[in-house]
Amino acid sequence: MAPVIKKPDYNLINAVSDNRLLGLWRMMTGYRYIYLAATIGLGIAALSKTATYLLLRYFIDDILGKGYGWQTLALIGLGFVGLALFEGTFTFLSGRLAAQTAEGVALRLRNYLYDHIQRLTFTYHDRTKTGELLQRSTSDVEAVRRFYADQAIALGRIVLLFVVNFLAIWTLQRQLAVLSVAVVPVLVLVSVFFFGRVSKRYEAYQEQDAELQTTLQENLSGVRVVKAFARQDYEIGKFEQENWEKYQRGRRLILMHSLYWPSSDILAGFQMLVGFVIGAIMAINGTITVGTYLAYAGMVIWIIWPMRNLGRIIVQMSAGLVSYDRVCEIITEEEEPLTEGSIKPAGHVRGEIVFDNVSFAYNGGETVLNDISFRCNPGERVALLGSTGSGKTSLVNLLPRFYEYTGGSITLDGKELKDYQRRYLRSQIGIVEQEPFLFSRSIRENITYGVLRDVSDEEVYAAARAAAIHDVILSFPDGYNTQVGERGVTLSGGQKQRVAIARTLLRDPRILILDDATSSVDTETEGAIRQALTHLMQGRSTFIIAHRIQTVMYAELILVMDHGRIIQSGTHDELMAQPGAYRRIYEMQARVEDELQSELQATAD
Amino acid sequence: MTDNYEFEEEEFTTQFNGRILMRILAQAKPHWPMVVGFLIAIALVSGLDSYFTYLSKRIIDEGIIPGDREVLLKIALQYGALIVVQALAVFGFIYWAGILGERVQYDVRKKQFDHLQTLSFPYFDRTPVGWIMSRLTSDTERIGWLVSWGLLDVVWGVANIITALYFMMIINWRLMLIVAATIPLLLAVAILFKKRILVEFRLVRKFNSKITGVFNENITGVRVSKALGRERENLKEFERLSFDRYASGYRAAWLSALFLPAVQLIAALAVGAVVIVGGLQAEYGAMTVGGIQAFISYITFMMWPIQDLARVYAESQHAIASAERVFSLIDAVPEIQDAPDAIEAESMRGDIEFDHVDFYYEEDKPVLQDFSLKIKQGQTIALVGPTGGGKSTIVNLLCRFYEPKRGVIRIDGRDYTAYSQHAIQSKLGIVLQTPHLFSGTIRDNIRYGKLSASDEAVEKAAKLAGAHDFISALDNGYEEEVGEGGVLLSVGQKQLVSLARAVLADPDIFIMDEATSSVDTLTESLIQQGMEQMLEGRTSFVIAHRLSTIKRADLILVIENGRITEQGSHTELIRQRGHYYNLYTRQFRYEYEQQFGLFERAAVTA
Repeated sequence: MAPVIKKPDYNLINAVSDNRLLGLWRMMTGYRYIYLAATIGLGIAALSKTATYLLLRYFIDDILGKGYGWQTLALIGLGFVGLALFEGTFTFLSGRLAAQTAEGVALRLRNYLYDHIQRLTFTYHDRTKTGELLQRSTSDVEAVRRFYADQAIALGRIVLLFVVNFLAIWTLQRQLAVLSVAVVPVLVLVSVFFFGRVSKRYEAYQEQDAELQTTLQENLSGVRVVKAFARQDYEIGKFEQENWEKYQRGRRLILMHSLYWPSSDILAGFQMLVGFVIGAIMAINGTITVGTYLAYAGMVIWIIWPMRNLGRIIVQMSAGLVSYDRVCEIITEEEEPLTEGSIKPAGHVRGEIVFDNVSFAYNGGETVLNDISFRCNPGERVALLGSTGSGKTSLVNLLPRFYEYTGGSITLDGKELKDYQRRYLRSQIGIVEQEPFLFSRSIRENITYGVLRDVSDEEVYAAARAAAIHDVILSFPDGYNTQVGERGVTLSGGQKQRVAIARTLLRDPRILILDDATSSVDTETEGAIRQALTHLMQGRSTFIIAHRIQTVMYAELILVMDHGRIIQSGTHDELMAQPGAYRRIYEMQARVEDELQSELQATAD
Repeated sequence: MTDNYEFEEEEFTTQFNGRILMRILAQAKPHWPMVVGFLIAIALVSGLDSYFTYLSKRIIDEGIIPGDREVLLKIALQYGALIVVQALAVFGFIYWAGILGERVQYDVRKKQFDHLQTLSFPYFDRTPVGWIMSRLTSDTERIGWLVSWGLLDVVWGVANIITALYFMMIINWRLMLIVAATIPLLLAVAILFKKRILVEFRLVRKFNSKITGVFNENITGVRVSKALGRERENLKEFERLSFDRYASGYRAAWLSALFLPAVQLIAALAVGAVVIVGGLQAEYGAMTVGGIQAFISYITFMMWPIQDLARVYAESQHAIASAERVFSLIDAVPEIQDAPDAIEAESMRGDIEFDHVDFYYEEDKPVLQDFSLKIKQGQTIALVGPTGGGKSTIVNLLCRFYEPKRGVIRIDGRDYTAYSQHAIQSKLGIVLQTPHLFSGTIRDNIRYGKLSASDEAVEKAAKLAGAHDFISALDNGYEEEVGEGGVLLSVGQKQLVSLARAVLADPDIFIMDEATSSVDTLTESLIQQGMEQMLEGRTSFVIAHRLSTIKRADLILVIENGRITEQGSHTELIRQRGHYYNLYTRQFRYEYEQQFGLFERAAVTA
């Protein structure tokens, strides 16, 4: 069982540093002692291994063939087992502690990123690609985890084995020690050089793999087109090309490996052999004992062979450092302060909203809203009519403070909107879009998604009934437990919308935004949705974004917008009484009916 | 990458399946010289590893102890020469095994892909794209691994153990027996561990792909989460999943960390035994110093072949399961096959007849029942009616993507199953509502309709399809890359390109399934003229909402619940005041509003 993680209260923003190693060190805050212990464990394990060879030396020089009985031999034998137990225990402990650190750091990082991403501003999300963000929060976190779990530890192991065994040989015979490491610098250089090349070829191989997968994916998802044009042979040729190229790149990668390993084998092998021969001659000359020779022959292996992997580890670690940078780029982004602001009433707002000369521009760009002034009394409906890009959506996005207005003033219940806490404000506002986003969980969970308390089944059913979706849900085999999304049912646009309406009903907001919620839904469900919406709007201040006169004519206030300005405002009757855009739109819609009648007439005649 | 495609896999075979194993090995058969090459090379490497230890023993016993420098030098020379030999063998096995592994992957992928091209729609209907992707990627990799590195590790491990035992026997056969006795124990413990570790790592992978999914939703749904103020609850939920990932990763890691120490400890027991028994024997000269040293070396390094054998054993079970799935793909029989004497007709011109056709996708859900229809060569047929009524099915049957369950479809008076699929499908031009483009340039995509077409022909088709204007406005014109699946173009643009593709194909039968639904009205009217020319003299099927397209048809069919409920010309059907009439009036209002761009017109002039 995993240990209960104590979560050191550490804000990862402090782990951001231009010095990447320092940054990675800070990221370990709370785990540093554990990681240190892991390193010490490695050292003890290396020492035990070396001690085994020294025990061998003692055994050969002082015990073997000296007439000792089985009791002494048994003690020596036990010594070997004991040292192995010691080494094993510390190897294991070290691995376990390193894993605890790596997994713990990764856990904290993942949780931090998850929370951070959902608190970043709308502006940030507008300009950032999903795939990019996704990759950083998964593969890059994984690379950072591996840095602690495998790479740093492996590096430490190689270094410690080298140091301990070198020192041991040094104390036994200095010349032998120096001779034994002569080739090590060459070995390291060759290894670093080689793995630099290998990683390039490996990337090329991986890129081709991605190409191959794209070709395959396109062939499979375009199977209708392939068959419709009878292009099977062409497709086979195309795939063959990518497949063959991958094979070729694989060959080149293999060739690199097949050249490196034998050459490093020769380097390391001859180094060992030279050491053996010189050691043997020293033993013959009596400079060292036979036992010392044996100990040396055992220890020298641990100086030379692990070095061959050094290059690989260094290359991998540099990839880990790049991932650290990429993760930090997200961490340094500013969050949206959700609880900043002095106003956070205990109850609901009334919903009296006044825009006074409001203007707005995205990120210092051109203003998309100018001189917006109007008033919405509690429970009234305000309709926004205008073409795409006229500023309707920008206007309603100001209400939940998704974006901050750049000029003028908006007041809610007489107080400046900017002084309200965003979290409170958003709890008072419900939004229904034309094609709402549902989450891949059950329908019930989607309906209760916006309320932060336990909800009884009755409440859920009531909301679903009011949204005219209850019967549809019951018609699914799994009812309310039906999964939405890829692995579950695909809901039609109209059904999604009604689930979103139920979701909003349950939240019971005082202010409502219907973003194009009434247009172009499949005709069969249009009536059901209109009914659900009427139900939803009762007693709430509502902003309706729409295209059709029929949807807006009953609103208490109609704003006709164009190029970020309100060009006309008033009730339907008022607007009809004056010349202008509204009346022209109305007349055009009326003319459609005339046209239709005459068209039908013409056909029938 | 492959993690994204990880589906719930059926439980893999835990039994050792000899038949499948043979079939896996057979994949390497065409490249047997490489197999022989790497097997010899690895056996040599393995044997030399053991021999080096034996040489070290001789250095001690024949060189150091008697103080004989000449023998020492001789042994050293032999040692040095063998280092070079071994290095050559190392080159050989990496090269041959590595390339064989890649080659087998290439072969198996090719087999699968080529076979996929022969499979019919029902197969693709019931098999998710992700499932197939996994077969051609991770599963294929595992097969390649098994016949190269897997096989290699087994040979290496076995040869290493056998040669080590052999040299130990030469040195001291009694002690060798003691060591040999520990091998089964070592293997059993190692296999137990490796299997367990593998299970844990699979769990980690599963959590990883879940986390990726949750992150994906966190990012794509961020606006909704913000609007609903769900941040704290989301984090709480995520922390639970994240912790599960933590716990499983931690467990996998410490199990792995326990593996080597455990094996080493067992080996140390054998070392202890050698020290005691060897030490006693040394008293009366039955054991030498070099001998003891050699035994300790053999035992210490025995854990590597043991570890490799255990790993291969554990992983080969997954490879076999992978192979089972890959072979199931290769063995899948296409539902629609050409008759042995299928006709490769030059043309598909002629009358088309549906004669009492029944069809269903799922047994108990009939889609078409007793459907009959006669179309004259050159007529344009419009199919209208609600979604799911069977319009697309009629088109699918006509294309022979599916075949009737009962009844006959005739082209030019002949049952169309008498033709080859290629004969029919190469004479079709199809444009779909959700157009599919391939990575590459716009020109490549249009040319897909006729591979031999000249650049002029491609552009002419684009003009006819009304695509030329938007293409010319792009930075690179016809050479503009469309991106994966055409993501860099809008849906409307993709529809125009796929229309041009079908135009270029110059088909005998033309099929448009909501082909221009996302094209703006202005462009739509531009296309009209080109289409008139296109449809002239060809038999055409048009599924459409747009009235302009429908009205032009020679025959309009209203399809509901798999039957023709109304049919006739536009004028006839309007007079009937039935379904078509309702459909028409509703669509008329909708299009009119769209077409006049009410706001653009009304508001701007204000």
